Amino acid sequence: MTTDKTSLKRRALLGGLAAAPVLSTLPVSAAAARSDVKSWYASVDVVVVGSGVAGTSAAIAAGRDGARVLVLESLAKLGGSSAMSGGVVYAGGGTALQKACGIEDSVDAMRAYILAASGLYAQRDKVDLYCEQSPEHFDWLVQQGVHYEASFTNEKGLPGTTDSLYYSGSEQVHEFAQSIKPAPRGHVPGFKGWTGGRSLMEALIPSARRAGAKYLTGVNCERLIVESDGRVAGVTVQMDGETRHIRAKRGVILAAGGFIHNREMLSVYAPELAQCSVPWGNMGDQGMGIRMGMSVGGTAAQMHHGFAIMPLYLPDHVLKGIVVNERGQRFIGEDAYHAFLGHEIAFHQKGRAWLITDKTSQYGYDDYRVSEVARANSIQALEQKLGFAENALKDSVDYYNHHARKGGDPLLNKAKAYLSPIAKAPFIAYDLSVDKAFFPAHTFGGLRTNTRSEVLDAWNEPIPGLYAAGRTTAGLPVAPYIASGISVGDGSFFGRIAGSNAAGARS
Amino acid sequence: MLALFLLLAATPLLADMPEGDARRGQLAFGPCRTCHYPEKVVGHNNGPSLWNIFNKKVGSQAGFDYYSDALKNADFVWTPALMDVWLADPQKFLPGNMMMSLGIPDAQDRADVIEYLKTFSE
Repeated sequence: MTTDKTSLKRRALLGGLAAAPVLSTLPVSAAAARSDVKSWYASVDVVVVGSGVAGTSAAIAAGRDGARVLVLESLAKLGGSSAMSGGVVYAGGGTALQKACGIEDSVDAMRAYILAASGLYAQRDKVDLYCEQSPEHFDWLVQQGVHYEASFTNEKGLPGTTDSLYYSGSEQVHEFAQSIKPAPRGHVPGFKGWTGGRSLMEALIPSARRAGAKYLTGVNCERLIVESDGRVAGVTVQMDGETRHIRAKRGVILAAGGFIHNREMLSVYAPELAQCSVPWGNMGDQGMGIRMGMSVGGTAAQMHHGFAIMPLYLPDHVLKGIVVNERGQRFIGEDAYHAFLGHEIAFHQKGRAWLITDKTSQYGYDDYRVSEVARANSIQALEQKLGFAENALKDSVDYYNHHARKGGDPLLNKAKAYLSPIAKAPFIAYDLSVDKAFFPAHTFGGLRTNTRSEVLDAWNEPIPGLYAAGRTTAGLPVAPYIASGISVGDGSFFGRIAGSNAAGARS
Repeated sequence: MLALFLLLAATPLLADMPEGDARRGQLAFGPCRTCHYPEKVVGHNNGPSLWNIFNKKVGSQAGFDYYSDALKNADFVWTPALMDVWLADPQKFLPGNMMMSLGIPDAQDRADVIEYLKTFSE
């Protein structure tokens, strides 16, 4: 990428018309030199690439701070993947909603859970800031017009009811709850159904417009334009069938989502996610923001991380079955959060797994998520049909049944409620493999940014004039996904920061 | 008129449509579930329910309030042949529509999805 930039600069120095054909043969998303731009189609203070929760939060913040803001969306519809999501924001430390529901929480407990669940990849400085300012960030969402109901539900999973507060992660799981006080932190707009993301964006986009931001749809951003001193000066776009240059006097904010719909990038950076049957997200998740940032020296992290889900439940009686790999061996407590199960299968079991059930634990109907692949009257006959090594599955089932009869699972600690021997024919195997089952995936990796949402180069220096937020960045979400609402929460929070800092940058 | 033109345009494609397989279609339909559910009991999501979609006038699933003008103003009835054209390239078929899909490029995949959707009807 640097080579492209350098050679471009050299060619530009040679000057004249020779530069033009060079520019047109550059790969899309390579950087363009400011000196090659003959005229600006438009000039604003801040250009935001992408209209999801990160871009729109950035637009609100920058607009409020007095900047003239232009948001560019490649598709006909605004809102990105955020508008198609559950719209959950992971918030805590004593938000107004938690207080209204009589829930006690602290910044320390929230931080402890995020750090413990995120493991080695947690970015401590971002987590600290996110947790410390979480109550204020929730107030900000309310101020923008997002509607929440002061109502908590203890039900598992995204509420389809009007309840706005629920446990969206594994805070109550023994592993965490024994040392960290649990609290529900999933904050979801208070409407019926599972379209909270739409409700969220229906509040935020008008708020950005009230702050003066302008939105343009059908605009494909392709290149960043760079001054000779390395400062990002604008973007080159395709719109109305023409190539145009748009100047950003104070900064460009890349908020163009992840890359789950870019097969080429997936095969390079996240081949495990590429195997998953269902790319989950807005079709604008093409990795364009990440590549534009890389093309000017931005570095990326956690590119293979993502959300890989095997939604085994509900109904939860199927959790009385066991999940095995191609050796016929169990590898996870079947009642794990479905992102943990999906991650295990996709990243640690070569993408292959089966659910083994008996008469009491079978689905009992044709479910779109999984397919029955073998049925037999004995476990030995079943394992033969599956092509497992002789007695491999039988030994697993015998060991499991031996302990299940006593109400225990010393190997993987599945909850008691789901422990019962697999003993009654017919025995059925369902294929849970990444390419055979309904297996949604999306990406978490992206540009490295600091707590000011500035894009960092290989020396950890901010690239002047370039900011990024949301799934274009490597932010709070890491694999396996720790809780619903981390991604939209991270996008909205660091989007705001990107907007404020870009607006405050020198002209 | 538009519908007639579209039907004519679709006719040669119909002849080329491979035979669909509902079982394969179940998996190929997976990404569509970001927005659409064909099961009657689920109803509308980000996009309209696809229960009983064939032989239904375009943009007319009761209770769905988010149709684009492109779909509201279109005038035809969903048939497998038109669904095939639509799924091949939604933006080309009805420019300005809000469906969040770049289309299903593979003809066999489209035929499978269509066969699968046919199973969700009265």
